[in-house]
Amino acid sequence: MKFLVCIKQVPDVSGNVNSGRMVLNAYDASAVEAALVLTEGTDSEIHLVLIGPDSAKETIRKALAMGASSAVHFVSAESDSMDSGSIAAQLASYCAEIQFDIVLCGKQSQDTDAGLTGGMLAAHLKLPYATNAVGLAYQDSYDGIVVTRQGDSGQEILQLPLPCLVTCSNDMNNPRIPSLKGIMQAKKKSIDARQFENNSLSSTRILNYEQPAAREPARMLEGETEEKVTALVLALVQESGIF
Amino acid sequence: MGKILVHVGSQGGEAKRSSLEVLSHVSRKIAGSDDVVVACVFDVNPGRLEQTIGEYGADDILMYMDPAYESHLNGVLAAGLEDAIRATAPSLVVFASSESVKDILGAIAVNTGAAVLPDVVSFSAGSGFVEAVRPVMAAKSLARVRAEGELIFVSVRSGSVEAIKNPKNPGTTTFEAPIKPADLKQQLKEIIKAADETVDLSEARVVVAAGRGVKDEVGKRLVEELAGLFGGGIGASRAVVETDLFPATAQIGQTGKVVSPDLYFALGISGAIQHVAGMSNSRMIVAINKDADAPIFEYADYGIVGDLYTVVPLLIEEIKRHK
Ligand SMILES: Cc1cc2nc3c(=O)[nH]c(=O)nc-3n(C[C@H](O)[C@H](O)[C@H](O)COP(=O)(O)OP(=O)(O)OC[C@H]3O[C@@H](n4cnc5c(N)ncnc54)[C@H](O)[C@@H]3O)c2cc1C
Repeated sequence: MKFLVCIKQVPDVSGNVNSGRMVLNAYDASAVEAALVLTEGTDSEIHLVLIGPDSAKETIRKALAMGASSAVHFVSAESDSMDSGSIAAQLASYCAEIQFDIVLCGKQSQDTDAGLTGGMLAAHLKLPYATNAVGLAYQDSYDGIVVTRQGDSGQEILQLPLPCLVTCSNDMNNPRIPSLKGIMQAKKKSIDARQFENNSLSSTRILNYEQPAAREPARMLEGETEEKVTALVLALVQESGIF
Repeated sequence: MGKILVHVGSQGGEAKRSSLEVLSHVSRKIAGSDDVVVACVFDVNPGRLEQTIGEYGADDILMYMDPAYESHLNGVLAAGLEDAIRATAPSLVVFASSESVKDILGAIAVNTGAAVLPDVVSFSAGSGFVEAVRPVMAAKSLARVRAEGELIFVSVRSGSVEAIKNPKNPGTTTFEAPIKPADLKQQLKEIIKAADETVDLSEARVVVAAGRGVKDEVGKRLVEELAGLFGGGIGASRAVVETDLFPATAQIGQTGKVVSPDLYFALGISGAIQHVAGMSNSRMIVAINKDADAPIFEYADYGIVGDLYTVVPLLIEEIKRHK
């Protein structure tokens, strides 16, 4: 079985975004983990693809250290200005070059939360796909996979034949922390770094960033618990429009 | 701009509130121009759809009525939408950003050659372009974005615009599903609904959300009872979903759902940005947490520092006295 896992390096949004600390997108980490779980003890291959600046190599090493087999790195200093559409087009042209059975992506990236690339890539490749997967298993016959996805109301269980594409939620698993051995092995694994010209035009772009309007700090209700509760309910009755 | 197509999400013949917000917004924006709003809806039976969609301001309705739409399947919905887009030739297609829409938006953008701005909180359209604002970095920041093209898709976060009636008498055309589940390579095997999921979370006017501070069945019953007083939805943080006390469908936040009720209770939730990303659009936020320094109080309108196991029972009694 050959997995292709699309990964991205993103700013660490849990901390100070301006710190410049970059991490493997959490949803992609879950995609790598899912591939590792499905290939455990088999001679399957997990190939990574990343589009990003030279410095994103660190993120590829991290995923290799988790246990992926090999990687291709499309090196572009301008990848930040590529929108989901042009990223998906570039990934699709690479997919046309290689063999795979299952393509995994994160369901969105932690920085832009756009969630488009996976579905776009599936459409380019004309693959059956599922998004927002929280569970992934082989069908008994290994000629397809069973995906559990989180839908609007409840979880949907789908069967997909191979080849197919799945986008993964971080609710699917807890990605492993690379072991020391994994980190050492990753240093020997090959990263095929390719400079590339982005020739697909982005149809969308970011004009600027703004700070969200700050909310007033909460009015903290004081006194004995009964008094706090009475004051709260009074406020709810007067202000919520629900009563 | 000519024609604007609005996708109306529905279930069992009832339009979703988030879609009516979008429809109403578009309809009011184009008032006085030559532009036309066409709604498309995909369901099994028409129910009250025609009437509701007319009330919220569609000029025309494309009703795709077919057993194929009983359950969500991306290939089936995508083919229906692509058909509606071909039939309408719009310059702009607007969606409410539900899980079903997220599932197909990228694919249909590629198949129709559209530029797409997902999950926006506001937008304005001109000839050949749309400018919009969308939360990024787990809603820590807002990006002003621009799309250009002959066909542009925009999906709008629930609660971003208002659903105000703007009645019209739309013409209706009915279609069958162009692609049925049996035509697809993938198969839907089963849908697992959580037993306690009676109210649609993203539609609820009141949401009571539980965090890791809710530790057991006793706490869960408090959450249910409080929600029950308002006919509200039950939400959850990722940490409490991981304890299996609440279903994953209830998760609110960056990974989970985005909700924007009139009233949001955060019970035993610390207020991590990934959670806040899914609820900070709520009109009124009440936080109950035993830690006075919990970040959730920075987002709340009212806060009570205390043990939810003592505060919530009193709260339930006090609310009952006012009902
Ligand atoms: C990529 C990514 C995506 C994520 N997406 C989501 C998401 O969609 N939704 C989400 O919720 N999280 C998400 N998270 C996780 C998020 O970072 C937090 O870990 C999570 O929200 C914490 O949940 P919590 O507030 O319930 O738990 P905790 O942070 O453990 O907080 C529990 C709170 O309960 C209080 N408490 C405890 N006992 C009581 C009591 N008896 N009475 C009153 N208060 C009490 C404590 O003081 C504490 O503040 C995501 C994380 C990542 C990395």
